[in-house]
Amino acid sequence: MEDFLYKLQKIRDGFFSRKRLTFFLDLIAIFSIFYAIFIIVNLEYLLSKSSIPSSIPINFIPPAVAIIIALITSTLLHNRDTKINVIRLIENKYPELKERLSTAYDNRDESNIIVDSLKTFVSESMTSVSPSMLLSKGIIISKIMITVIFLAGMAYISLNPQGIQISQSTLDNVTKNITGQDQNNTGLIDITGRPEDVINVAAKGSGDIFGKPKIASIEGKNIDLTLYPGDNTGTIVKDYTPTSNQFIKSAAFPVDVMGSNVSDGGYSMLMTKTETEKQLINKYAVERSKI
Amino acid sequence: MSNETYSSSTRIFKDLLDEIGKVVVGQHEAVEQMMIAILCNSHALVESNPGLAKTLTISTISKALDLKFNRIQCTPDLMPSDITGTYIIEDVGGKKQYRFEPGPVFANIVLADEINRASPKTQSAMLEAMQEKQVTVGNKTYLLDKPFFILATQNPIEMEGTYPLPEAQLDRFLLKILMDYPTFEDENEIVNRYTKNITPAVRSVVSKAEVLELQKLTRDVPIAEDIKIRAIKIVEATRAKNDNIEYGASPRASIGIILAGKARALMKGRNYVSKEDIDAMAYPVLRHRVILTFEAERKGMTTDQVIADILKNVK
Repeated sequence: MEDFLYKLQKIRDGFFSRKRLTFFLDLIAIFSIFYAIFIIVNLEYLLSKSSIPSSIPINFIPPAVAIIIALITSTLLHNRDTKINVIRLIENKYPELKERLSTAYDNRDESNIIVDSLKTFVSESMTSVSPSMLLSKGIIISKIMITVIFLAGMAYISLNPQGIQISQSTLDNVTKNITGQDQNNTGLIDITGRPEDVINVAAKGSGDIFGKPKIASIEGKNIDLTLYPGDNTGTIVKDYTPTSNQFIKSAAFPVDVMGSNVSDGGYSMLMTKTETEKQLINKYAVERSKI
Repeated sequence: MSNETYSSSTRIFKDLLDEIGKVVVGQHEAVEQMMIAILCNSHALVESNPGLAKTLTISTISKALDLKFNRIQCTPDLMPSDITGTYIIEDVGGKKQYRFEPGPVFANIVLADEINRASPKTQSAMLEAMQEKQVTVGNKTYLLDKPFFILATQNPIEMEGTYPLPEAQLDRFLLKILMDYPTFEDENEIVNRYTKNITPAVRSVVSKAEVLELQKLTRDVPIAEDIKIRAIKIVEATRAKNDNIEYGASPRASIGIILAGKARALMKGRNYVSKEDIDAMAYPVLRHRVILTFEAERKGMTTDQVIADILKNVK
């Protein structure tokens, strides 16, 4: 083997080992960034709310995903590394070898007085060529520093997520906003009234018995007016018109809350109330019917 | 011998150019290209106006190279035998016998002045000698001495009564060298030198054997693959669709550019062919091989401008 080819091989090996080092540094840095992001967005909690089979350990998913992303990104970043023409790099860094090295390399199998003199010159000049000149120490050191910073940041975030990590309740709200549904929403609505101030409501004549369940304060006593619908029996209000809120008094259905189209579940719930509460609810319903 | 010639090649070329410079003022590029054609063991066509020292330059080169020099002034009535030679009858010991009398082509360096004034038949005879480096008279073939170099000249003006060389024959010339008018300073120097009683003398600085060695060494100059590819791409680009080119160059031009590049590298004292050599030699190698379209000529473009565009675009 020609002396210059031996030197070239050594330089090439040194250069590619440095390139491999930068690949691993990039891999670690990208992994740190993505893993830290996953901790901040509480990916583990989000995954626990999803329909991932319980056989898969959820706590392993964020680091695994971060590693996969880091591997793909680093591979893409260093995709062309193997295609780097080291001869061209050397020629660019060492002008005295420009065109000479590639000529000597392309004519490595030739031998005559001119080619031999060229090879000798190239071999002597390559003594000063170092892989560190092709991929500077500065780049490697800065890459190491960046990697260490990202790694430390990731370690800090994973050890002290409080205050940095997005809370579960925020995530729930975000989920609700994104999906447009409450986590506990069954798709049914209550038809119980919300007469927070029954006198004012009556006076204004604008109240209704639909809305969120509230505590009714009747004669100085707070009564929980929540009417829970039974399973699959809730009333879905589609074409609500206020004029339909009329109680129909009859022998079978005296004027009470039952008359306001309370569902079976709601009615049975009413039945669990104490007599005093029932009377108060009834009185409320009677008052409402007069509006 | 090769080793010695190679190690002293830088000095040889320097001495040679210095010696030629004693007689020929300026025209460095033309002199360099003539030397390149000799190193490539090929021929050159020179185009210049009269009085620009074509004959002086080539005769000076032959003196400096210690080579036999002959000049042929081409005219329409010049016959092939006037160039190649002919059999004459002579009396030897009372017996008459034919003897071959070699023509002016039997020299190392031949100047075919105004080649386009010779008839096509005579041009063919000369071009055959250029290509085959031999002459056939009757049924006998005579080899020409080595090195053999023909420098043909053409006058770009006074085209009346001329027989322009066909493209196929032009292709046999490695280079087309242009000689331009000297600069004011050079012309002043020419006047100073040639208006005195002392005529500059040239001494021989290279032997014939050394010239042959240098020709051999030229082919030994290595070239990198990417530079070789560039040379081929340049020639290929002349054949690609181009609004300015009617006909492009043949593969002989690719060989010519690379070979001329090698010779230029050797002359410049380099042991490798540089991109610069290829670009510099693309002009003289391609300029007589590329035929411009009517539209390009109408726009006043020259082949050198078209070649410059090609060099700019070829990566």
